[in-house]
Amino acid sequence: MNRLVRAALLLAGALAFLTLESCTESGDPSELIVIIAPSLDNPFFGQEAAAADGKARELGYDTLLFSHGDDAYKQSELIDSAIARDAAAIILDNAGADASVAAVAKAERAGVPVFLIDREISRRGVATAQIVSNNYQGAMLGALSFAQAMGGGGQYAELVGRESDTNAAIRSAGYHAVLDQYPGLEMVARQSANWSQSEAFSRTQSMLQANPGIRGIIAGNDTMAMGAIAALEGIGRSDVVVVGFDGSNDMRDAVLAGKAHATVLQPAHLQAEYAVELAHGYLTEGATGQPEKLLMDCILVDAGNAERLDDFQMKQERD
Amino acid sequence: MADGNMVEALSIAPEAPGPRPLQILLKLRTFIALIAVIVFFSLVAPNFLSVSNFVIMMKHISIIAILALGMTFVILTGGIDLSVGSIAGLSGMVAGFLLLNGIPIVPFGTVLVPSVPEVILLSLACGGLIGFLNGILVARFNVAPFIATLGMLYIARGAALLISGGTTFPNLVGHPDLGNQGFPILGSGTILGIPLPVLILVGVTLLGMFVTQRTTFGRRVYALGGNERAAYLSGLRTGRLKIAVYVISGVCAALVGLIIASDLSAAHPASGETLELSAIAAVVLGGASLSGGRGTIIGTLTGACVIGVLGDGMVMMGISEFWQMVIKGAVIVLAVMLDQFQASLGKEV
Repeated sequence: MNRLVRAALLLAGALAFLTLESCTESGDPSELIVIIAPSLDNPFFGQEAAAADGKARELGYDTLLFSHGDDAYKQSELIDSAIARDAAAIILDNAGADASVAAVAKAERAGVPVFLIDREISRRGVATAQIVSNNYQGAMLGALSFAQAMGGGGQYAELVGRESDTNAAIRSAGYHAVLDQYPGLEMVARQSANWSQSEAFSRTQSMLQANPGIRGIIAGNDTMAMGAIAALEGIGRSDVVVVGFDGSNDMRDAVLAGKAHATVLQPAHLQAEYAVELAHGYLTEGATGQPEKLLMDCILVDAGNAERLDDFQMKQERD
Repeated sequence: MADGNMVEALSIAPEAPGPRPLQILLKLRTFIALIAVIVFFSLVAPNFLSVSNFVIMMKHISIIAILALGMTFVILTGGIDLSVGSIAGLSGMVAGFLLLNGIPIVPFGTVLVPSVPEVILLSLACGGLIGFLNGILVARFNVAPFIATLGMLYIARGAALLISGGTTFPNLVGHPDLGNQGFPILGSGTILGIPLPVLILVGVTLLGMFVTQRTTFGRRVYALGGNERAAYLSGLRTGRLKIAVYVISGVCAALVGLIIASDLSAAHPASGETLELSAIAAVVLGGASLSGGRGTIIGTLTGACVIGVLGDGMVMMGISEFWQMVIKGAVIVLAVMLDQFQASLGKEV
């Protein structure tokens, strides 16, 4: 009997569980904008998604936010679901330049326009718009500031982003376009830390063990730069020039505290909002009125202007 | 413990006399859960209850289900295969490499260009080979399955990254001059409106049911999982059986990798990451016991459907990403709790 009661309780629990999560919102499906970012817990992508979300709501759309975790198949599944939900448009920070082409084409074929932000895909004429920051220009800005802070000479190390990500390669190329012009600058180590703070932390520790003469670390994004700063603090080194890329609030605080030299702001906020505005224009007027690919310039953030940086946008510039 | 399992293994076919309603309900719990999940999402998620959405969901389910069906054989023997996600990634990369580069024959300086069916067979063979290595480690070197396949998880993922140096093989549509077009059909083609991956899943399921229920091999797999020593003493070549189940799992994983690469028309070295966990969850939801000897093909298929429908339904409902993980985890734990409960009821009788 006791067992019967337990069984009944378990079953009741199961049923209650299945009906627990009630629907969040279900507006007119044709007014739905689906926003897909690589992750929602990373500050950069989180802000990017939040900016698109805010703009879309402001324009009267319902929104759904998802993340694909840099998994191209998960992304493809999410796009399927967006099509099934009859989304009006998709704002996408994609999971890989080559691996995303088929999924974007699938959405466009199903009549759902796709607006790419942050990262581009390898083929033109597939997405409705591609709004990307000019990573090469930004990297050159960061590298120039880095080289000047190093006094034009000395040993340095580079932390590269995920090897399969186009932006990792473009940024590294931009860095080297400048740094290789300085004969005094010597790169003694170059490691991929997959955009990750913890990987950058351990890689930096090892690199500093092997090359104690390192006086500068240039990283492909702020998350890795923060990992490098943590490693430097751990061994009490404050003489190392650190430059990152993205313009996160963490990095801003590090620059203001003198722990980092500079970062490069990607206009993530503006980009995401602009993508939603383009989508709105496309949905209401049938065309974006712009070429498919739009490059947005990056801004150098150092001790001089770091105060104005907040949530991936420079205050005063807007509003 | 072994004795208890043996009893269960023997009681698969004939049912204990006069099962009580509660037991029937528990036995059908995965199926009931599937119905409940479908009804629930039909009520709350817009556009969920439509033919096109079910077609899409079946396609998504086929990925987890094919992995899980292969995994079922391994779990029936009391083993586990953690390497399936990595094998899927690797086989996609092998296919991508063969389609874009062919097979370079170094001494003659020429390149052999395999046709699409050959590419598919070679990639499946690659999955089978890794499964074979898993099996050798487990059966001949007595490495615990968890450890052997954990090692293979890293090795296969590393190999997938090494093939291309971490980059993606793009645009796998083949070239008319080389006669290797048509690869994308495997993942994105349809017959009478049904996606090919779904038909492949149906095929794998029927084959799996036939093998587990109608062949001596199938019975031996159950016997091995039920009581390994008894199986060995009664003359079964347990080592060979173990190797065979890991090969089956490897080939299924390679098939999934091919479907993913074909659907995306691109092979990405990171594809399939963490899929092994979904596959294990599907098998467990389907009522299989991780200690071996108990589980069915149909149960696993139902389990995969529950996981797939739950995942897609929550996405369509717009539940936050983070809650989705919590809910998935809770469902898996709940399923195992019910499973234990059913087992304890069985002992009472």
